Amino acid sequence: MAMDPAQRRYFGRMIPIAILYGFAVFFASLIIPDDAAATPLTIAVALVPALAVSGFIWAMGSYLTELTDEYVRLLEVRKALVATGLTLALASGWGILELFTDVPRVPLFFVFPVWCLGLAVGSLVNWMTMGAAKADA
Amino acid sequence: MKNRLKVLRAERDWSQGDLAERLQVSRQSVNAIETGKYDPSLPLAFRIADLFGLPIEDIFLREG
Repeated sequence: MAMDPAQRRYFGRMIPIAILYGFAVFFASLIIPDDAAATPLTIAVALVPALAVSGFIWAMGSYLTELTDEYVRLLEVRKALVATGLTLALASGWGILELFTDVPRVPLFFVFPVWCLGLAVGSLVNWMTMGAAKADA
Repeated sequence: MKNRLKVLRAERDWSQGDLAERLQVSRQSVNAIETGKYDPSLPLAFRIADLFGLPIEDIFLREG
């Protein structure tokens, strides 16, 4: 079977969002100095990359709901569950460390990238438990 | 759940890819169902049964 139409739509959404994200981060770092005050302008400019991140999440969610191959959808949902569990565990663990010790503060920005790394762990778990790495998108 | 998918496919000289194409699913799905790693939903089980012209219970068998 050729690429699922949902996969084509997923890539068709992710590529422009990724380009928007790159430009938005570049633009924000260009015009907002380090440690800038939170003014309406700086907040608005800084929220553009955040909107792009929301776009990534929307594209991923749409992919899950539009997938017609139920087995591939199962694999993708399992990946997301592993990623969510790992992210919650890591964020909670590090948050408690920050509460009680002087470990470095990790910006909340890293939650989404960590979740995406968790998807890779989810692929590995799929491969180990279902031998299905090739079916992963 | 056990199934006779591999036998039925072999009788028709279909590859996993052939069956996947007829069912409009991925080859990995056919492989997972055949090897018992994944039990299909009822709608997909009906599509499989319709394709082979058999009742579902002649394709998917109770364990034990």
